[in-house]
Amino acid sequence: MAVMQAPPPPARQVLPRAVEETPVPAPPATVLSATGISKRFGKRQAVDDVSFHIAEGETYGLLGPNGAGKTTSISMVCGILDRDAGEVMVHGQRLTPATTSAKAAIGYVPQDLAVYPDLSAAENLRFFGRLYGMKGTELTERIGEVLEVIGLTDRAKDRTEKYSGGMKRRLNIGIGLLHRPKLLVLDEPTVGVDPQSRNAILESVEQLSAKGMAILYTTHYMEEAERLCDRVGIIDQGRIIAEGTRRELVALVGQLDKVMLTADGRLAEGAAAARAVGGVREATVQDDRIDVLATEARSILPRLLESVTDAGVVVHAVEVIEPDLEAVFLHLTGKALRA
Amino acid sequence: MNAVFVIAGRILRQRVRDRSAIVFAILTPLGLATAFAMIIPDFSPRVHTVLAVVDEDGGELATILTDEVLGYLVEADIASIEPVADVATARERVDSGDAGAAILIPAGFTADVQTGNATEVTVLAGSGATPREIARASVTRFANDVGATQLTLHTIGDTGGQVDQEVLARVMDAMHEPSPIAVTDSLAAQAQASLATFYGAAMAIMFVFFATQYGALAVLAEREAGTLNRLLASPIPQAAIIAGGALAGMVLGLLAMTVMVIATTFLVGASWGPPLLVAALLVAAVTAAMGISAVVATIARTSEQAGSLNAIVALCMAAVGGVFIPASQSPEVMARVALITPHAWFLRAVDEMTLPSVTLADIAPALGVMVLMGLVTGSVGLLRARRTLVPA
Repeated sequence: MAVMQAPPPPARQVLPRAVEETPVPAPPATVLSATGISKRFGKRQAVDDVSFHIAEGETYGLLGPNGAGKTTSISMVCGILDRDAGEVMVHGQRLTPATTSAKAAIGYVPQDLAVYPDLSAAENLRFFGRLYGMKGTELTERIGEVLEVIGLTDRAKDRTEKYSGGMKRRLNIGIGLLHRPKLLVLDEPTVGVDPQSRNAILESVEQLSAKGMAILYTTHYMEEAERLCDRVGIIDQGRIIAEGTRRELVALVGQLDKVMLTADGRLAEGAAAARAVGGVREATVQDDRIDVLATEARSILPRLLESVTDAGVVVHAVEVIEPDLEAVFLHLTGKALRA
Repeated sequence: MNAVFVIAGRILRQRVRDRSAIVFAILTPLGLATAFAMIIPDFSPRVHTVLAVVDEDGGELATILTDEVLGYLVEADIASIEPVADVATARERVDSGDAGAAILIPAGFTADVQTGNATEVTVLAGSGATPREIARASVTRFANDVGATQLTLHTIGDTGGQVDQEVLARVMDAMHEPSPIAVTDSLAAQAQASLATFYGAAMAIMFVFFATQYGALAVLAEREAGTLNRLLASPIPQAAIIAGGALAGMVLGLLAMTVMVIATTFLVGASWGPPLLVAALLVAAVTAAMGISAVVATIARTSEQAGSLNAIVALCMAAVGGVFIPASQSPEVMARVALITPHAWFLRAVDEMTLPSVTLADIAPALGVMVLMGLVTGSVGLLRARRTLVPA
């Protein structure tokens, strides 16, 4: 785990001859490497020395409140915005706003809807496909595939101005997928989306990740980052202040899981028995409830229940509360994520 | 290059689908040109009148007046000559309006001139000033020639010479010769388009700015649609976004002007001139309009603001450039000021092309000025537009 600084890109290992004979899976290739990128707008430092990398099949989340620098960061990553400092490598190629080959490896899904309302879904896809150099049968077939993926095959010929917000969002993502990018960059794709469409979008992202696509996902929704992202960079005021897996970030701030056992019987004895279970840090009685603080609540839960039951406690309900990224953000910045 | 065509194609499709280009660039100017051509009186009216002529003399000088002096009016399609038998008939023709004026050549006219005696030719005028002036001007010119002849004869007589028949014959022959001093009427010689052609051309050059603006506003429109970021992220040169817009604007402009040329030709009888020269003129005009629209678009912050600004610029330049009042009807200073606009050069070239002998060289100055205007303003617009290629 790294904090405040991104780890170096995974390097191909050089193994001793004896070990070479054993098949060792190669580490996933780095698709995106952003190193020390910075951007200033007038007197405001929008992004300050931000570094992160994303490997093949990895979903990386940039989590931060509005105005934290997420969009500016990905604008530089996608070559939309020139950077003041730093380096961006995409699929082994250096990327600048003038670079065209590196850009072709990126599928960009902007936060605002970027579709032409006077064109149909198929026409929108065809237009952007041609900008990515696709043509002929390849393009036509790929348009059909993408329409299938985003569930708009039946409405392919309708102008998008007649679409619902969710349908437009799906098309917005579909355009980003059209040219089979190595890296998919999604900038808050679920903002303003109804729950059903939101869930469909999240499922799509999970499926793409499972297929090996590298994904950069910005959001200020903690639960999306927790669900989708293998690693998360917490960004605030233009700087990445922490980075790692959810578990690593939670451990970083020393937060414990909380298990609340609603019960009756011999609660004091039950609490004492709970304290004896490995991994439990604290157990207290609160009215008709035993509150337990532990490091890995889910893994110790069977032993915990067995112990308190043996101590003469009848458990009616169990609630496990794991510390989330919201709590991490609050801990690191002293402010709420959605403030 | 492919990206330029792809982007231009999308803009053209959009403008055709929302009908804005058709309404602003074709239907409106076509309607206005037709209306103006129908309701506004021609500022260069074609004059034609009938002159009744009473020739009581029948001599050689009278024949010169009727056949050669008045014959010029017939050749120029200014007047028809109607010989009548006597003064009473001539008076009757004038009073009834069948003739605009009458010219009376008295008996003994030729002899009086040859002997140096006083004589007179009378013009009977009707109610119209123009026929009267035509008749009087023609007779006055002839009278001046006769006066010169009489002066010659008097001079010979005063110096003691004898006017023999040979001298007299030579003097009479001289009456048939054209004047050795040619006086050219520059206004009359100036080419001038017909009313239908003028208003067709005027509306075409004014409204082409509304067609080209759709290309010039492309970057602003993409920004407002939210698609600019996606285009900037695409693997295309960023300049292709601007170039695609410019190409779309040029195509829309040329399309609109071509439709105007064809429609005014067939609907209101406009006469534009040789097709190849017209094509060159349209390209030059659209280049100028595209360049100016491009600069205007970079001044505005929104496409709506840019559209309004472009309309103001287009109308002001049209007013100054002689779209509403032809340069020939304007004070000299205004005619000179008008030359800062492509409108004036365009209309000047259209006038030139009404001459049957017009060549590319005749309209080359107008073409050159318009293309130069377009290149200069277009370059400024391009430089400014590149700065707008930043994320929305």
